[in-house]
This record gives sequence, structure tokens and C-alpha cells, in this order.
Amino acid sequence: MPERNEEDLALSRRAAAGDAAAFAMLVEKYERPLRAFLLRMGAGHVADDVAQDAFLKAWRRAGQYDGRARYSTWLTSIAWRCRIDQLRRDKRALEPDDRGSEVGSDEVQDMLARLSDGERAALLLCDGHGWTHAEAAELLQMPLGTLKSTVARAKAKFREMWERGHE
Amino acid sequence: MSDPFDDFLGKALAPPERDPDRAFVARVHARVLLHEAIRAQRQSALQRLSLQLIALLAVVAAFILLSQSPDVAAFVAESPAIVLTALIALFSMLIAVFASRAGSSSDSAAMSAFSRV
Repeated sequence: MPERNEEDLALSRRAAAGDAAAFAMLVEKYERPLRAFLLRMGAGHVADDVAQDAFLKAWRRAGQYDGRARYSTWLTSIAWRCRIDQLRRDKRALEPDDRGSEVGSDEVQDMLARLSDGERAALLLCDGHGWTHAEAAELLQMPLGTLKSTVARAKAKFREMWERGHE
Repeated sequence: MSDPFDDFLGKALAPPERDPDRAFVARVHARVLLHEAIRAQRQSALQRLSLQLIALLAVVAAFILLSQSPDVAAFVAESPAIVLTALIALFSMLIAVFASRAGSSSDSAAMSAFSRV
């Protein structure tokens, strides 16, 4: 098990035993990439609500984290399901907003908005957050081959838009 | 030579470099504490309810046993009004005791949850 996973596993075990301070350390460590991902996915109005729900679920299920996957992967998979639930019950989550620019330029956010949900998530995770294709495929519940072609297609579309903007 | 697009992509999609958002961490921490307080309150309410059910069952069982005694059965047959009055008084007293306990303990649990958050 990588050293980082061991450290997070230890914190998660302490959280499972009721140590809220240990869990706060995990929140401090992972709120930045998780909220950036949710904002980039266009969850602007509700990104923080979804992130809070995900952390609360991670606290309740702390005993289920076994350290085999990275903590960020485990946490993002919880947040991904929270986001899907949020989209089902709250139409506000679908409204366009400009909070995505909090994590980067408007130009990048506009380009991302032109990709499909799956393409955007696959590209963000693999090329922005350093996830392996296997990790992203598991989260997005896609076969590995499909995930790889989704990333390649998203990258090609992104490149096309970028080149058009820089002509 | 690296592709300028790949350089751009990596930088553009990576999470922004910044310090942890302490306000967000505090909000999550408060929600965790509130969740735990509510869970503890729910647990103690369930415990109290099961104890009260056991007590009530014990009282009912005692009454059934008493009613099977020939002396008590004769007394009930002779003066049913007195027995009925006694039963109503006892039942009212039980309700009053249970209601006052439930009220005071839920108030104190809610107050402690609120003060912790």
C-alpha cells in the first residue's frame, strides 16, 4: 500500500472511531481538488453543498475505506453519486452559472461546457487530477476501453477548440 | 519538445493551488458534530422507548396475574367502580411520568447538541 494511502487510512480509521479532528484533517487535505472537480463539472450553484454531503457520507462510512484505492478516488466516487442525486432532485443544479471560473479561466470553462458530462469528467480526472484510466473508468462505470476512447475524443475536441482560439 | 497544448491542458485542468479553505473545513466539522449529536439523541430516545415498553409490559403482566387471584376477582365483582377509578388514576400517573421524562431529556439533548455545534 502506498505511504499516502496508509496515512489516509490511519486518519480514516480514527474518524471511524469517532475522532472528528482526524476527519477534519482529511477534509482540509481533499476539499480543494474535490470542490475544483465539482465546479469544473458545472455544479456551480450547488458544488459546495454536494462537497459537504460527500464529506458527511465519507464520515459516516469511514470504516469502509480500506486503503486499497487512494482516498481521493474513494471520496470522489461518493461525491459523484451525491452529484447525480442532486441533479435528480434539484433542477437548480442544472442552471448555468459562472462559478466555474473560480477554478480557472472563463475560456477553459466555456470549452469544458461544450463537452458531454462523461467526456468532461474523464478529461478532468485523467488529465487534470492525475487519475489513472482504470480509476476513472471505475468511477464513471465505463469499460476501460470506452474510457480511453472518451478521453481521447474529449482531448481532440478540446484541442480543436483551443487551436481555433489561438489562430 | 513538449506539445504546447498538453502543457496548457495540464495547467488548465489541474485543481488551483491555494491554501485549505478553513471556513469550508469548519462548516463540514459543524455538520459532522450535528450529525453525531442527532445520532446520539436518536439512540438514547430508542433506548428510553424500549425501557418504557418493558416497564409497561411488566405492569400489564402484574395486573393479569393479580386479576387471576380469587380474592381480587371477588373484589372486582363486588365493587367495579373502585377498581376502574384506581386503574384510570394509575394510567394517568404513568402517562404523566413518561411524558415529563421524555420532555426533559429531549430538551437537554437538543440543548447539548446545539451548544456543541
